[in-house]
Amino acid sequence: MAGRSAFALALAAFLLAAGASSARADEPRQGGTLNYVAPYGSSFSSLDIHASAQIQDAIWSKAIHKPLYDWDADANQPVLALATDVAASDDGLVYTYKLRQDVYFHNGKQMTADDIIWTYTRIMDPQKAYPSARFIRYIKGAAEYSEGKAEAISGLKKIDDFTLEITFTDPMDPAYLLMRNVTSIYPKDEGNSEEFLKHPIGVGPYKFAEYVPGSRLTVERWEKYFDSGKPYLDKVNIMIMGDASARDVAFRNKEIDVSVLGPAQYVAYKADPEMSKYILEVPEVFTRFVGFNLDYEPFKDKRVRQAINYAIDSDLIIKRLAKDKAYRATSWLPISSPAYDKDAKPYPYDPEKAKELLKEAGYAEGFEFELTATQNESWGLTIVEAIIPMLAKVGITVKAKPVESSVLSEVVPAGDFQAFMWSYTSGPDPLTALLNFHSETPQSSGNYEKFNNPDYDKLIDAAKQARNEDEKNELLRQANNLLQEEAPMWFFNYNKAVIAYQPWLHGAQPNSMEIALQSYEKIWFDESAPSR
Amino acid sequence: MLRFILRRLLQMVPTVIAVSLLIFIIFSVVPGSIASSMIADGRGANDPELIERLNREFGLDRPVHVRFGDYIWNLAQFDLGTSFRTRQPVTELIGERIWPTLKLAIAAMCVAIAIGLPLGFFAAMRPGSLLDSITMVGAVSGLSVPQFWLGLLAMYLFALTLGWLPSFGYGEGGLRNLVLPALTLGVGPMALLARTTRAAVLEVMSTDFIRTARSKGMSSFRLVKWHVTRNALVLIITTLGLQFGSMMGQAVVVEKLFSWPGLGSLLIDSVGLRDIPVVQGSILVLVLCFLVINTVVDVLYAVIDPRISHG
Amino acid sequence: MGLRLNLVLGGTLCLIVIVAAVLAPWLTPLSPVMDADLMNAELPPSAEFWFGTDAQGRDVFTRILYGARVSLTVGIGSQLINTTIGLILGISAGYFGGWWDDLVNGLTNLMLSVPSLIFALAIMAVLGPGLSSLLIALGLTNWSWTCRIARSSTLSLKSQSYVQAAKTLGYSDFRIMLTQILPNIVGPVLVIATLGMGDAILAEAALSFLGLGIQPPQPSWGNMLTDARELIAIAPWVAIFPGLAIFMTVLGLNLFGDGLRDWLDPHMRTRPV
Repeated sequence: MAGRSAFALALAAFLLAAGASSARADEPRQGGTLNYVAPYGSSFSSLDIHASAQIQDAIWSKAIHKPLYDWDADANQPVLALATDVAASDDGLVYTYKLRQDVYFHNGKQMTADDIIWTYTRIMDPQKAYPSARFIRYIKGAAEYSEGKAEAISGLKKIDDFTLEITFTDPMDPAYLLMRNVTSIYPKDEGNSEEFLKHPIGVGPYKFAEYVPGSRLTVERWEKYFDSGKPYLDKVNIMIMGDASARDVAFRNKEIDVSVLGPAQYVAYKADPEMSKYILEVPEVFTRFVGFNLDYEPFKDKRVRQAINYAIDSDLIIKRLAKDKAYRATSWLPISSPAYDKDAKPYPYDPEKAKELLKEAGYAEGFEFELTATQNESWGLTIVEAIIPMLAKVGITVKAKPVESSVLSEVVPAGDFQAFMWSYTSGPDPLTALLNFHSETPQSSGNYEKFNNPDYDKLIDAAKQARNEDEKNELLRQANNLLQEEAPMWFFNYNKAVIAYQPWLHGAQPNSMEIALQSYEKIWFDESAPSR
Repeated sequence: MLRFILRRLLQMVPTVIAVSLLIFIIFSVVPGSIASSMIADGRGANDPELIERLNREFGLDRPVHVRFGDYIWNLAQFDLGTSFRTRQPVTELIGERIWPTLKLAIAAMCVAIAIGLPLGFFAAMRPGSLLDSITMVGAVSGLSVPQFWLGLLAMYLFALTLGWLPSFGYGEGGLRNLVLPALTLGVGPMALLARTTRAAVLEVMSTDFIRTARSKGMSSFRLVKWHVTRNALVLIITTLGLQFGSMMGQAVVVEKLFSWPGLGSLLIDSVGLRDIPVVQGSILVLVLCFLVINTVVDVLYAVIDPRISHG
Repeated sequence: MGLRLNLVLGGTLCLIVIVAAVLAPWLTPLSPVMDADLMNAELPPSAEFWFGTDAQGRDVFTRILYGARVSLTVGIGSQLINTTIGLILGISAGYFGGWWDDLVNGLTNLMLSVPSLIFALAIMAVLGPGLSSLLIALGLTNWSWTCRIARSSTLSLKSQSYVQAAKTLGYSDFRIMLTQILPNIVGPVLVIATLGMGDAILAEAALSFLGLGIQPPQPSWGNMLTDARELIAIAPWVAIFPGLAIFMTVLGLNLFGDGLRDWLDPHMRTRPV
């Protein structure tokens, strides 16, 4: 029986290959089971995506849920997802959405404006502290509601079942806020039930099937998904695999179709003539850096900060420790940013120049500083260990101060450091990213270095007022270059995120926001996929 | 007997309260918070307002003694609180993880008993023999080796090089995934059991009673089978019971190494994320496991050796 | 195994570690932190680098020599704290009895009911990673056996005639405890401390592996193993040698402790857990 069906399959495959060889390579095919990985840790934290700020949870959310906007990874920009059309008022405060009328929750109920209003209201629940609130807070009246001063969010207005009007507090592009997975739309009322937390329901391409805590979450194709024809795959198993070497073994055994690579695997896969064909790499919007506390005496002098940038052989560290799985940083904005200056050159490795600058600044004998860092291998003690001897060569003594990551993110916003190492999001919106270094941004809200430069402020303020994207990006480009010159930090690298996929998999997207987040509905298998 | 068991169970109550107090105090002064851990991977933006809201939602803005009162009050109703991270009841989260940990611990104990017991037994049968020397060297080595290092080497050999076994994870809960972690965790108890068994059997063998029986011509193997077993069992059970506590500690490391989704990894992850109710709950449950096992050991002890008074 | 053999073998292993720790700067010309050359990273063992190099291009042999200092400090330091606490609590509880004895007993039972590694982990989370935190964490969590032995020995010694005699002579309680009781329990306590040193070194490795031990750049055998998991497939020597160092040291301490115990009291066979 098994033999016969295998033969039949082989025959069918042969006939298909012969008959449709021209269409085969780029024509999406239905069917198949995708084994995907959730690589960040050993568990999911919650089946309530509003309550989780973890990327790990966004990985299952991408299958089950959809927010109002979607991040189009191929185009590198946000697009409307649950609406067909949007119109903004002249003052840029009121947005009117024409909702899609073919969106259905996994329980069969049609999605209307009520569900969206209910969802955003739930996120601002005065009794709860959902991390997703920071994106909804820009809707007018949301803050008042969450403080208990209002019965409802005044900026959310239902015109009819499929027309929604949202008023914002500032003129801004709401796409960057409402595309976040943590703002995904829940079915009204049901979203608060006990049952929902065990059995989430969304409008996404796949419906929840099974969750084995600590092991995997399985979803199945949602037949009434609004984007007709999609999704292609019947089923997706999202396996929790926090360990890079374990993913390596599973991927080589073809047990998983996609693997997120660590540095060691990246080197090995790149060297393999077959595997290297199926690698997708992308500069993610995360910048790794050592921030200097500008209140600390030696760091007050720009030349000292520049000297550190000259004294560290960043390229060597990237090559040897990061195994080339990173892009050298020039300044703050990452390569994928629309305001990234393609002509900018990073600080070269020049210890002599560094010594000279230190001498000019009055630190010919060197000085000492404490560097607070976690034990992260890409932006923590592993890197600190490498820069200690490099800086020692120009006379600077670095004392590593190891902390746990939850402590790092407490001491840094409080300014309780001389220098710290971190990886911080620097996109996709360049204005938001550069706003961190505006002198009016409090230290606790992102200006950790306490950077204060009037010229820089002027450029940012002008960019806010810019009439079009080109003008805005040009101003931000200048600001970004000024930041490099002023060097309030050691610019280390931008993360190079890499996934490897099996040859039969098509449609993987180079997501610069986070490569582990794939829109599963775009993925399909060709005939060479194993049957599972 | 029932009264004896009841009394032992009642004796656990003050210990449990004291342990909760201790854990509560330790984790009320720990630096870092659930709010700071949410941005700890550098992938979210810091949000001072969120921190304030979280503190309000979880009642962290109240004074410590009020929180402790609440905690104990809930504990008395077998309520371990709500996880900061998932907002699920802690009991539910622990319920998901307790079985993998018990499975691992039981498997490790089985490994220890299956290998350690016969080795110690046969070593004692022929004191000074090659088998005896090898067993004793092996036992002291087993107590001296860092378990997770041994696990790492086993992972390298059996999973990465030979490809016989999965290198990590729970899989679908099958036996294949259990082998390496259980062997790793079993090494310590195995070594200890071999030593204890050998010592216990030697001790019993040297008593007058056995010597007399032997002089009457009973074969030593039969002797041991009938007379030694019961006496040695007492010592062995005690060893296993006591060993259980340190095994619970070691399980944390082994679970982390093999990404085993048990109570130990839950504890470590929760400490890192500062999900304090889960940390308190997991430690408490681990301690409870240990106390219950010890009670069971005491009861067994009394059953096997009726000379122990029940009063 | 012969009694002598235990002592000799164990003592030799311990001696090697002590020599390595004390003479580290003379045994290797390299620095464990500063002599990093990324161009020489992950080299296998060779004539130049006996134990190979790690991911930072540092000599693993050098780091193991310096790591011995940390391990010994952890072992000796934590046992000094443990033994002191255990002795003070145990002797005083046995000597005075009453409510104080009950309290100490309760405390001992409490310590025994929490797995010490988990207890140490909690303390490390509060104090943050580092050597001094580690000494405190391991020093505060493993005194119960010393305390128990000290207490029971004191109880039996208290009724001995020479202690009673000292009492009638009007010696102060403190003096009796120090001069009449303490010297009689040094033996078993020393055995426990020796075995405890091994356990502390193992605990350091475990805590470092969990990210709560001694942190780089300072080399410790435990933190040298932390990166080893990622590197095991491409540079197994980075994992093998520090693990071997821990193993040999703890083995030495355990053998020495066993030998010491057999020498002091041939009847006391089982080891406290």
